[in-house]
Amino acid sequence: MAEVTQGNGPVSPRLLPTKRRAKTTPRSVIIADKIADWTIRIGGIGVIVAVFGIMFFLMQTVVPLFTGGHAGELHTISRPAAHQALMDVIDEYQTMAVSVEDDGTITAFHIATGTQLTVPTFDFQGRKITGFGRTLNGRDVAFGFDDGSLRLGTISVPAVLVDAAPADATKLANNDLTDGKSVYSQTGAGQVRKVLVEAELSEAQQIAPQGTAIIAVDYRKGGTAERPESSFVTVDAAGIGRLSRAESKSNMMTGEVTTSLTSTELPGLPQGVSVARVLMNTAADTVLVADTAGTIYRYNTRSFDAPTLEETVKLLPDGVSLTTLNYLIGEQSIVVGGSDGSVSIYYKLARQDAKTEDGTMLVHAKTLEPHKGAVVAVDSSQRGKMFVTADATGEIWVRHATSEQVVLRLKPADFAGKYQTVALAPRENGILAISDAGKVYSWPISAPHPETTLKTIFGKVWYEGYPGPSYTWQSSSGTDAFEPKFSLMPLVFGTIKATFYSLLFAVPIALGAAIFTSEFVHPRVRAVVKPVMEMMASLPSVVLGFIAALILAPLVENWIGSVVLAAFLIPTSWLISALLWQMLPAPLALRYSGWPKLALMVAVLFIGFNLAEALAPAFEAFFFAGDFKAWVNGSAGSSRPFTALLLLPLMMGALYFAMARTLPASWRTIVRSPNRVVAGTAEFVRWIATLVVGWVLCWLLADILIAIGLDPRGGFLDTYVQRNTLIVGFAMGFAVIPIIYTIAEDALNSVPEHLRGASLGCGATQWQTATMVILPTAMSGVFAGIMVGMGRAVGETMIVVMAAGNTPVMDWNLFNGLRALSANIAVELPEAVKDGTLYRMLFLAALSLFAVTFIVNTLAEVVRQRFRKRTAQL
Amino acid sequence: MEMAATAPDSPLERAAARASNHRVTDLRARGEPFTWLLGGCLSLGVVMIIGFLLLVLWNGFLTFVPQKIAVVTSKDGKVIAGEAFRAERFRPAPDVLAALTPDERSAVAKGDGMIGRTLYRVANFDLYGEDFKWVIDPDVKSVEYPADMVIVERLEWGPFIGRVEAITLDGKAVEGNDLKAPAVVKAHEEARERWARMREIERDEIGALNHDLEVARLDVRRAELKYGADSPQQRAALTELDRVTKDMQSQFARLTAEVQALRSTSDKYSVTFADIGDREKVVPLANIVRAYRPNALTFGEQVGVYFSRWGEFLTAEPREANTEGGVMPAIFGTLAMTLLMVIVVAPFGVITALYLREYAKQGRLVSFVRISVNNLAGVPSIVYGVFGLGFFAYVVGGTIDSLFFPERLPNPTFGTGGLMWAAFTLALLTVPVVIVATEEALAAVPRSMREGSLACGASKWQTIRNIVLPRAMPGVMTGIILAMARGAGEVAPLMLVGVVKLAPGLPIDGIFPYVHLERSFMHLGFHIFDVGFQSRNSEAGKPMVFVTTVLLITLVAVMNAAAIVIRSRLKRRFAGSQF
Repeated sequence: MAEVTQGNGPVSPRLLPTKRRAKTTPRSVIIADKIADWTIRIGGIGVIVAVFGIMFFLMQTVVPLFTGGHAGELHTISRPAAHQALMDVIDEYQTMAVSVEDDGTITAFHIATGTQLTVPTFDFQGRKITGFGRTLNGRDVAFGFDDGSLRLGTISVPAVLVDAAPADATKLANNDLTDGKSVYSQTGAGQVRKVLVEAELSEAQQIAPQGTAIIAVDYRKGGTAERPESSFVTVDAAGIGRLSRAESKSNMMTGEVTTSLTSTELPGLPQGVSVARVLMNTAADTVLVADTAGTIYRYNTRSFDAPTLEETVKLLPDGVSLTTLNYLIGEQSIVVGGSDGSVSIYYKLARQDAKTEDGTMLVHAKTLEPHKGAVVAVDSSQRGKMFVTADATGEIWVRHATSEQVVLRLKPADFAGKYQTVALAPRENGILAISDAGKVYSWPISAPHPETTLKTIFGKVWYEGYPGPSYTWQSSSGTDAFEPKFSLMPLVFGTIKATFYSLLFAVPIALGAAIFTSEFVHPRVRAVVKPVMEMMASLPSVVLGFIAALILAPLVENWIGSVVLAAFLIPTSWLISALLWQMLPAPLALRYSGWPKLALMVAVLFIGFNLAEALAPAFEAFFFAGDFKAWVNGSAGSSRPFTALLLLPLMMGALYFAMARTLPASWRTIVRSPNRVVAGTAEFVRWIATLVVGWVLCWLLADILIAIGLDPRGGFLDTYVQRNTLIVGFAMGFAVIPIIYTIAEDALNSVPEHLRGASLGCGATQWQTATMVILPTAMSGVFAGIMVGMGRAVGETMIVVMAAGNTPVMDWNLFNGLRALSANIAVELPEAVKDGTLYRMLFLAALSLFAVTFIVNTLAEVVRQRFRKRTAQL
Repeated sequence: MEMAATAPDSPLERAAARASNHRVTDLRARGEPFTWLLGGCLSLGVVMIIGFLLLVLWNGFLTFVPQKIAVVTSKDGKVIAGEAFRAERFRPAPDVLAALTPDERSAVAKGDGMIGRTLYRVANFDLYGEDFKWVIDPDVKSVEYPADMVIVERLEWGPFIGRVEAITLDGKAVEGNDLKAPAVVKAHEEARERWARMREIERDEIGALNHDLEVARLDVRRAELKYGADSPQQRAALTELDRVTKDMQSQFARLTAEVQALRSTSDKYSVTFADIGDREKVVPLANIVRAYRPNALTFGEQVGVYFSRWGEFLTAEPREANTEGGVMPAIFGTLAMTLLMVIVVAPFGVITALYLREYAKQGRLVSFVRISVNNLAGVPSIVYGVFGLGFFAYVVGGTIDSLFFPERLPNPTFGTGGLMWAAFTLALLTVPVVIVATEEALAAVPRSMREGSLACGASKWQTIRNIVLPRAMPGVMTGIILAMARGAGEVAPLMLVGVVKLAPGLPIDGIFPYVHLERSFMHLGFHIFDVGFQSRNSEAGKPMVFVTTVLLITLVAVMNAAAIVIRSRLKRRFAGSQF
């Protein structure tokens, strides 16, 4: 010590060698030190930040699911207030706002500048429109006139790519030019896009008697390209409803197109009904006629010649009139708006209790948040279940039918009058509304994930066509009309189910093996056995999944009787062997307690297997009426024997517990007899007696349990599927057992040796020491092992993907498959569109997995550290 | 005892008397039945793992053993020929039972209602439309093993089982129908060489031409994006494209002509086979990978076939939707990905551990970070896959694409899964393993050594580099190798970040820049999943899956073993210098 301080202090030059060493540290060393310092600091902190960045990145991707939508800047255009707008259309790129007026004129504006454009119009030759209808995409329109005639037409605002804008085009806005008729926009890719209005009108057709006005129309196009078929339904001023069909045939020889028109009357409309709206679907097999009081007459028009009135439903309370009625895309649900501002959704569902002939009825599925004023206009999206409602107070709400949420609430500051029409842009990214005060309002909007709220993800949602609210995961299908079902619950359930059953299998085995390795075998045996068990952990899970799904699953299916029997028989064989082993004289038992005993255990395991195979037919005959699969789905046999068998282990435990206190002293003397044969036989007899009594009690108890409805069948035992949870549990056991085993064994083994010695020295047996001293001390470490094992089971992917069948069902059936969160990510993410709702939902699934495993592991780590501290103090 | 004599009736005495009885322990206190249950759990665990390994190894190593071809004649006169694939006992459906004679039925009833059946691999998928046929035991009239049955491994349609009808070499029929005749063997070798040459031309040389053309085309696009259409640069690029196109056309014509010549030669060499039902099938000699008479093989020939199949498995490319041929690209992909991962994970893991152990101030924050890093090892691998896809491929890759490869958009270059992103993802997944192992190793270096070094005047970095790191090396190496073992066995995250069932090209080839980190790749683990679950007939793929499994397990086991060996070796090396 003294030398060191001297070395650091000033030293007289005489003591130093003649050749002086440089006192300063070489620059290169300092620089290297600095570089290393910075590299390590930056690198280290960088990696830590990167690793934690995972969570933030996942969160950042998930958040937009819940942020609703936002609207851009409002464009207001003034227009002549003289006309009543029947409909408005906005093009895909939101360059043009187009409206059809009630005299047939079409007005079009360039949205950004409000410039009016000259576009073709419909010429009605002075007839006055009294009814108007259109198809869902807004392209095909039908006008009903006061003289009882009807005209069909098309109006569209297509965008086409052209080489260049015409030379005489004048500039409108930044990238937009116009020739007065169309808008030419320069796109980013160097192309020019022309947006124009196209309108066509067909010949008038007389539907109602001359002079009777048509007051309501709806129109659908169907048929094939060669034989287009237009169907429409009309109601005239006299209250007569008609279903009509116009078929166009082109003559092969002349090329002339002839249109034939047929009509049938809809029966059963009451006299003098004041019809507000008619609706029909594209298949033309359903017609809805709604009167202003909110009563709907639903017709089955599957047979065109003989339409039948299926039901009459009152949609709105008395005193409230119906103001809007619209289909949502897919035409399975209707949106009803009332004068009281109420908005509700009805589904047409097949119901057992339906009193109608076709067995379906309109069901009130959802009541949405009401408007403050009467609902005046509705438009549904062409690509999803989004729709927009406008009310008399000037509010326009963008809603979503699945999530029932109002995504956006819009109102122009200078609003006056009443909205005539409202339209949602084709890409769900804009709103166009026209008021009778001569204003055209247009907002660009963005609501990328309107279908997800916390409620739709974690709660029950009533989807279209479903009998009631349910937890469903079904992320994609071929058509736009499909309603995506994003409930994470079935997947969370699947994960929990897989974890639960695999832990049910793995925890007893891992803990049993750990306790035995740590307390009952020689360290030399331990040195061999432990690495073998740990080897299991390094098996790639894809290998486990492959073996489980392709080798094990068919095998288990074939031998299910034996497998079930083995689950009972193998532990029983060990018990019987133990009872026999007890009869061995003490010196002999001691001599063979090492390897031979372990080998015997393995041998008994194989004997148990073989017995299970041999006895399976008898077992199945007694417990499962001879056919396990028929028994398990409830079509054969009684539950009683197997319920009794399930209860037996519990009953045996209970009986032994009761006997421990109540056995007479004379019995104890026998059991303590130095003659092991006597004592062992006595114990064996007692075991047999307990078994018999236990079985009788279980048999009686099973009857009671089944009578009060606790039948294992239909609960955790049900129809057998080849790739099921039993297989998953077993395969996952390979992944989980070594983890729990290693951690638990380490914990047990690190209990200080003096505790063990003291206990044994006081005369406790090994068993007593293990259960009363070692296990309680090591409990927290053992618990940590189980937690880490659980973390692994929750996130395991390949085994579940391969062996679980991947059906997102929610039942506890051991013999049914499941779909876990992790498997779902692996299966669906490669197909998911970047930044789409499914993509973000799968990120949410990943985030949940991350959070759950991170929390579980942290808890385990905290528990383990506490355990370490405690053992250090002991 | 003395007390017992003086006061026989006191409670103390009774207690003492009981105590004397306790000299022999109560049998129940030994808990023998429970001990057996615990021991049973251990034995079950050991049996599970050993049984599993035996199952995989047995099936894996036996797959390539040539099987005898059985010709099975049924009682109804039908004859099939095939390899016995596996046999089992099953519970027959009523209609199967009804078809049996009463004698057989009673025999079945005696045997617990189970019937034995054998699955024969009848091959000839092009003729039968199925690879396998079940035959139930009571149906079998006779089983023979004729010496002249031949199994042919073909490039298309899977194997063929039948007899040789005729051999045509150079358009002329050859006498003897002997596949082992020297002339036939020589012709076969030549045919295979021609086939290999044809493949080389079609894939590599024409591929290289297409690549050049694509490069020229992309240059035009790049010039257009950078300097605008009709700019001098773009026109220059267009001229270049024209030149390349013309150049390519002539080369292409030359190569096509060569392929045509080879093909017309190949067409003159063929073997006509007939299946057991005498339906003929002409197989070009070039399409035959291997043909032999399994029922007439000597032991030496069997060994030869066995090893030649292993050789093919390890070095050839897959065919028949991956269910046959080799797995060379998958081995290559696995190794390349793992190596790349190590290159990333090793420095970062070690640096982080150094920071945590040697530089950061030890306190609550660092111990929290330590616990978290430890726990990240327990986060499911699929989560890393999701992150890899979302962040590396889409965000980072997307940025790289828009900055450096705008001419290829909208086709992604780095903006999709690929070798590099897979390696990065797995590096992130395995970095906790390296950090934890390195930290433990650093902690184990005695403090006295550090202090000694510093006291001698060494700087901190000199101490770490010369004293600490060498001593910690065994631990670091162990961590890195364990990380490799974990990385090589992971499949779930790779499914999201770039692994494919059949990669068009290896990540390393002769085209500039030689190493293609953006390419998707094949992987042994994914190969198992794909062949086992997504091929037309999972039964046909099963043997292949077993062999691949053996390979993957061996790879992982070798890495784990290497970790142990390196650790003990390095320990020994430094043992002497420790004080």
